[in-house]
Amino acid sequence: MKNDIIRIENVWKKYDMGSVEPLVVLKEINLTIKRGEFVAITGPSGSGKSTMVNIVGALDKPSWGSVYLDDENISKMSESSLAFLRGKTIGFIFQQFNLLPNLSALENVMLPMEIIDQDEKKSRETAEKLLTKLGLGDRINHKPNELSGGQQQRVAIARSLANDPEVIIADEPTGNLDSKTGKFIMDFLGELNSNGKTVILITHDLDLVKYAKRIVYIKDGRIEK
Amino acid sequence: MKLKKCFNLAWNILIHSKLRSWLTIIGIIIGIAAVVSIISISQGAQQQLEDRLGSLGADILTVSPGFSKASGPMGGFREGPMDSDSDSSDEQKNLTVKDVLVLKNLDNVKYVMGQVSGKGEMTYLSKTASVSVTGVDESVWKDITYDELASGRFLVQSDFFSVVLGGRLVETTFENKIPLNGKITIEGKSFKVVGILADGNGVYMPLDIARTVLEDVGEEEFSSISVKIEDVEIANETVGLIEKKLMFSRGILNEKNVDFSVSNPSEMQATIQETTQTMSLFLGAIAAISLLVGAIGIANTMFTSVLEKTKEIGIMKAIGAKNKDVLLIFLLNSGMIGLVGGLGGIILGVFGSTLIGYWGSTLSGGESRMFGSTALTPELLIGALLFSLIIGMIAGAIPAYRASKLNPVDALRYQ
Repeated sequence: MKNDIIRIENVWKKYDMGSVEPLVVLKEINLTIKRGEFVAITGPSGSGKSTMVNIVGALDKPSWGSVYLDDENISKMSESSLAFLRGKTIGFIFQQFNLLPNLSALENVMLPMEIIDQDEKKSRETAEKLLTKLGLGDRINHKPNELSGGQQQRVAIARSLANDPEVIIADEPTGNLDSKTGKFIMDFLGELNSNGKTVILITHDLDLVKYAKRIVYIKDGRIEK
Repeated sequence: MKLKKCFNLAWNILIHSKLRSWLTIIGIIIGIAAVVSIISISQGAQQQLEDRLGSLGADILTVSPGFSKASGPMGGFREGPMDSDSDSSDEQKNLTVKDVLVLKNLDNVKYVMGQVSGKGEMTYLSKTASVSVTGVDESVWKDITYDELASGRFLVQSDFFSVVLGGRLVETTFENKIPLNGKITIEGKSFKVVGILADGNGVYMPLDIARTVLEDVGEEEFSSISVKIEDVEIANETVGLIEKKLMFSRGILNEKNVDFSVSNPSEMQATIQETTQTMSLFLGAIAAISLLVGAIGIANTMFTSVLEKTKEIGIMKAIGAKNKDVLLIFLLNSGMIGLVGGLGGIILGVFGSTLIGYWGSTLSGGESRMFGSTALTPELLIGALLFSLIIGMIAGAIPAYRASKLNPVDALRYQ
């Protein structure tokens, strides 16, 4: 197994703005993330850190350059292959939790497994196990609006782990949480990393950066050395 | 994603949908209900009509005195203004025994029966009513009529003062039901009821007796002649032949002077059927418009639904859903809107057409059962359901395609 899990080579991202000048969000990004690393990507608002992580997470494609996941160039992949990659290899945790409002906690966690055609019974068992591990064993049938912000984020973490992905991408995961719940989430991410998961944390909170083993600072679309 | 999961997610969207979706469904319910009731009512009416016309007998041609414009020689309407010659036909020269004999010798003719008819005063248990009296040739009547006996027998040649009564006459005309073998009086003459028909309001008696009962009926004259033919396929040709032979025997040289008419039930049936079909088509087209409006409603709802669900689509894509999964979920969702609307429409349509059928038979007092029965066939119900499903899916196709093509990052950012 190769040591590098993600390799970004000379990635540019620009948005056409019609009549005005195109907006260049990422400029000449080169970055390698090793398997099992805990990397914090930080920088001021609007620096391009979320755009970069969207590209790493196969949610977006670069305008120029290449992104390799396990040596496979994902910037050239079809939409359907990228979707499979997002489901199987990458787990997302968002600041807004992004749970489906009409599904229960259990159904939300089962969904990534069912998307990749995993057996329903096995999906249910895995989801129950994950939710119990995150302290939500008694909340599995609750809808997101019946859960607190911290509980919702724990459901989102359980969902990100459903398909046992190699990479966890957490975009401002504690942004909407109180400090106690935030600490629980960060400790859990740390534990995941200790168990071998590659964790990419996007934050502008310098207190959270300390959980990471490596910090990448982005400013004005460029990685600052 | 498995089809079952897509189905579950589509169902989840439907049951959690807002009032707007349910209003759309109501639109489809009304459209399908209109189609189902219109088709079932018109099919029922057509069936009734066919049954009734069938009971008249497509193989019985009727020769009547006087010229009817609508069914004159060579069929159809006469064109051009009526000239003075044609007025002679209004004199209504009655048909005679000679005419009967002429008709008996024609090809394709099986039975010929001359009959007289008119109004008579009938008395039963000191109550009197005006009834229609028909004198029939008792030797061929049973062979030529499509009336069915409810009890008793048809007239036979040895009958004199015997009558056969219509079923409805027996049941409803007098306070008391007239029994078989009961005694009635017509125009002062006493008759025995030897048979009761399943339906009808008429009184049937032997021809010679009827001539003594009815006024204005001359000896050897008939009010009409019924002709039973062997092959209905060549009914039109037989009508032509009858006209030709009768014109010859009655010494009529010019078509304008024809003083009789021959009615062809099969031609009448075809015309009536065509009319009811045109009417069904017209009403169906109106119902189809309401369905089209319903379909546009679905498309509108789906566009709004996709807009509302943009963020959820982004989430699903972020956790691995493919474009085709999203497409299928929304396509199934719109299909479900159509299907639920279709189911509701069928229930409402069945209820509506039953109600109209009930009103139809109640308001007409059982006289006209044109709308008294509806035809709710399984084909109609399954067809309506499939149609609503397809309409839903077609209406939802473009919104679903748009949903599937959403960029996950843009969709996730959508508020």
